[in-house]
Amino acid sequence: MAYKRQFYPGKSLPAKNRRRFMDPTVEMKKLREVAMEDVVKILGHRTPGSEYMSTHPPLEEGTEPDCPIRQMVTPLEGAKAGDRIRYVQFTDSVYFAPIAPYVRAWMYLSRWRGIDTGTLSGRQIIEMRERDLEKLAKNLIENETFDPAKTGIRGATVHGHACRLDENGLMFDAWQRYEWNAAKGEVEYTKDQVGIPLDVRVSVGKPASDDDLRARTTIFRADGVDMNDDEEVTNVNLRIHKLRTLSGFQPWKVKE
Amino acid sequence: MSDISTEPVPLPEIMIFPKRLLNADTTEKLLNRIHGLKHVRQINLHGESLPVVVNYGPGKGHKVDHPQRRVIEVKGEKMELRVQVGRIFVEVDDIDYVQEVSEEIERICEETLPFDFYLEVGRYSKFKPSLTDYLRGLR
Repeated sequence: MAYKRQFYPGKSLPAKNRRRFMDPTVEMKKLREVAMEDVVKILGHRTPGSEYMSTHPPLEEGTEPDCPIRQMVTPLEGAKAGDRIRYVQFTDSVYFAPIAPYVRAWMYLSRWRGIDTGTLSGRQIIEMRERDLEKLAKNLIENETFDPAKTGIRGATVHGHACRLDENGLMFDAWQRYEWNAAKGEVEYTKDQVGIPLDVRVSVGKPASDDDLRARTTIFRADGVDMNDDEEVTNVNLRIHKLRTLSGFQPWKVKE
Repeated sequence: MSDISTEPVPLPEIMIFPKRLLNADTTEKLLNRIHGLKHVRQINLHGESLPVVVNYGPGKGHKVDHPQRRVIEVKGEKMELRVQVGRIFVEVDDIDYVQEVSEEIERICEETLPFDFYLEVGRYSKFKPSLTDYLRGLR
């Protein structure tokens, strides 16, 4: 029997949105345009236009050992060229950000290859070959998983995802990497992801309205859609919890 | 500005909990209104720390220049606001006046804050000096 891939249980809105993000056959909406040069500036790993630094010779030089895995896997462009591994990290506010860190992990691993990702309470890091990372970061800033006010690009000092929003509706950032431009109604990055000032202000567009964010969110919240109200999600979570707990100390009691 | 002398009994505090973190301008306006109230003994601000410089990582040493960290003036006295205010604790000098002061504070907040808030009465901080305070020479 052919296995049909499943992504996430449930009939509630956040569950549906989670499935959309995780399903690689669904094309994500592009909501804004940010120049690659600006993305490179925000990442802060190299000067735009400069050469990529490498950690090993290009694969085509044939210095790699003979290995069946190397023959099976098609390398990414960055791996072919021997790029350094660099990172980008996103912080998602609990106030109905379009995506949450753990959903990011599921989405990343479901959609892209050649990445290493780590989940923390309010942030999600991606480590990847530099040139591939830049393309992915541009994609993630431009698509519907990003909201200028509720998502932050923060390499360090990510604190703020669980804080109340500020008066302009922006997620708190102690390093103030982005600012509210009241005249334009847009959010502008004035610093890179580690707090080093940029030479230009990079606009990432207008924040979405609260209603729009509630329709797009993947976050279950008691004041939004409660996870307990989605029976299928609750049952799957309870099953995982039970299996993990029992398998840890009395695996013979697992009957299913 | 505030009277920091100790009291033998814990005095009540009214906590103002706004729905949003306050900008320095709003904090300044609010403090200027509350500070003049009768029976208000002390005001404490709580919030998210705003560092002067980036304290670690590749950007270590760069100035943060956070627009909400600035000198504010309350009743003619200047002070540096070092947090983005999330909670304000107003200590009242007698439990009998809590109702009266909280009604005043509610009215001021409705006029000053452009978003929702709630008030709560309790005791949220220590009311007599600790051993650490004594060692640090604070009291």
